[in-house]
Amino acid sequence: MRFKHVLVDLKGQAKSFFRVKSNLFWTLAFPLFLILVFGAIFSNMGSGTVILNVQNLDGGPGSTLFLQSLDETGAIELRFIDPQADLEQHIKDNSLAHVMVLPPNFSEAFVPNSTATAQVELRLDETVSTSSIVRNIVNAVVNNYNLAMSDGREYLELEVGSIIQKRFTFLDFFVPGVVGLTVMTTCVFSMQGTISRFRAAGIFRKLATTPMTPFEWLLSRMIWFLFISFLTLAVVLVFGILVFGMSMTLNAPALLMVIAASAMFSALGMIIARFVKNEETANMASNAIIFPMMFLSGTFFELEMMPGYMQDIASVLPLTYVSQGLRDAMVFNNLDGAYLNLLVVAVIAVIFVAVAVLVTKWEED
Amino acid sequence: METVIEVKGLVKEYGKLRAVDNIDLEVKAGEVYSILGPNGAGKTTSVEIMECLRIKTSGEVRILGYDIDKEQREIRKRIGVLPQSFNAFEYLTVKENIDYFGDLFDRRLGADELIEAVQLQEKRNVWFMNLSGGLKQRVGVAISMVNDPELIFLDEPTTELDPKARREVWEVIRDLKSKNKTVILTTHYMEEAEILSDRVAIMDDGRFIAMGTPREIIDRHGSGSTCVVKAANDAALQAVKGAGMDSENKDGDLWVRLENKGSLARLVNLLSAGEVSYDEMLIKGSTLEDVFLKLTGKKLAEAEA
Repeated sequence: MRFKHVLVDLKGQAKSFFRVKSNLFWTLAFPLFLILVFGAIFSNMGSGTVILNVQNLDGGPGSTLFLQSLDETGAIELRFIDPQADLEQHIKDNSLAHVMVLPPNFSEAFVPNSTATAQVELRLDETVSTSSIVRNIVNAVVNNYNLAMSDGREYLELEVGSIIQKRFTFLDFFVPGVVGLTVMTTCVFSMQGTISRFRAAGIFRKLATTPMTPFEWLLSRMIWFLFISFLTLAVVLVFGILVFGMSMTLNAPALLMVIAASAMFSALGMIIARFVKNEETANMASNAIIFPMMFLSGTFFELEMMPGYMQDIASVLPLTYVSQGLRDAMVFNNLDGAYLNLLVVAVIAVIFVAVAVLVTKWEED
Repeated sequence: METVIEVKGLVKEYGKLRAVDNIDLEVKAGEVYSILGPNGAGKTTSVEIMECLRIKTSGEVRILGYDIDKEQREIRKRIGVLPQSFNAFEYLTVKENIDYFGDLFDRRLGADELIEAVQLQEKRNVWFMNLSGGLKQRVGVAISMVNDPELIFLDEPTTELDPKARREVWEVIRDLKSKNKTVILTTHYMEEAEILSDRVAIMDDGRFIAMGTPREIIDRHGSGSTCVVKAANDAALQAVKGAGMDSENKDGDLWVRLENKGSLARLVNLLSAGEVSYDEMLIKGSTLEDVFLKLTGKKLAEAEA
């Protein structure tokens, strides 16, 4: 391999890229546009069943009855946390948005003639749109209990706390997803589009008559799309912090995730273009792969809001791990989660790149 | 004279289809050699094997003395190729495109020198996408010369060009010949092959059906000259038929085959009779088109359809 050939192609690609205004829009302005538009839409949205994670430290008949009442509202799906679990760590590891803790003495308030008061501790991530729904439902059930058992005093007290130490805005959570999404669309569409276009225009036939190898060309393109991915990340971060006042961390797992995601999605674009040779069909194939991932990988919607089978589908989509990994790294500072997601993406990237290198050749025999 | 291309028993098969059927070819240094035939005849497949773009099924191919199976790297360094339907990078200028391809080679000619060779000085800084078809082909020829190759393949360089643009490309090819480059030209334009080539191979259904200089092929396979009597009346027709001359009525014109040296004098004599009338007489020699028709039983346009 000669790196001179890679540099020649990088130089040509850079000149061509910056001369096409639409490239600048799709890779630099579009992510900002997404943040503004979708951020505005989804930050106030709430519908369907919301998941409430419960750590029941009581286990008595009172807590069972109370949880049954919550379940009967139909608006909340209860998921239980092991009473022995370290709650703080569990919240961090699983990036939970809504948690309710029922203390050990909870059932005492339900004993006839008891003067005890039980506290319902509700910990919410208020930047998540569904938090207000959870608060309202739990509050309504608590009030009902107080009214039903009314003898002039409150049996249950609702205490609402925040899960996160730092104040975040909805955009802080949305932006890592947009970075992942933009890396995906830029790399897949650009790589597939370039290969399909070059093949149709006969440019590969011409390149095949030069000393440049297909691997050198692929390497150049992957380096280029990595550069574009970092450019997108930089633009989103700079604008996000300076203009939108977001608070995010740019750390090693975030940077490594962008590198792995860029390689993975570039290779995916190459594979699509290689196996679907007609230019229009290849574009359609890319769309067919990209759009479901866009909406099922937790970029716009929280995974917890989706039905179980949809969550199962999301768990096999690479973008899910990219978005979650970037969020863990940049927002939650959950490095264990970030590295775990990075590992998944890196393994997929290695497989995709290996396949892409094996199947890409100049000759069309 | 040095042999630059040596092909023996070349076969290319796609499944059951034999696209190239056992062809032999020898091209000498400094020649413009045309491979002529309709679309689908096997021209492009044959030259793409010689350009190291396709893998042959069987046969021997040596380019500039290098074995096509073992020494593709050496061949690629020394040949120039203008592929069929050539395109370059749309958003790079003429000079930038030439530099892109030039920088991939260890030995290269300067962009300005090549731009001058194909007379594109005024378009030096124009994006490739903004050039006309003829100018794009001239850029393609410039790029094919960027590594100062000894052998240049031009695959249908004038297809889809208007007559003016076609003649511009012809000039560039003539210039290549004047620089003593060996040029392999594939075309389905008989006139182009006849005008530009030192030697021609006519290809049909994967086989060479005639080879030699255009003159040799016409002399060997042509049907002699034809006299076209424009707007001939019935009396002219009857006179020629009555004299037993081989003739044909085509859209009111009388085509008479001149079988020997005395035929023309005899025809002139017949057409001097009082009742005979016509507008004019033209003498038309055999062309490669006529040869193709004679050898394959089909016109080139029919063969392409």
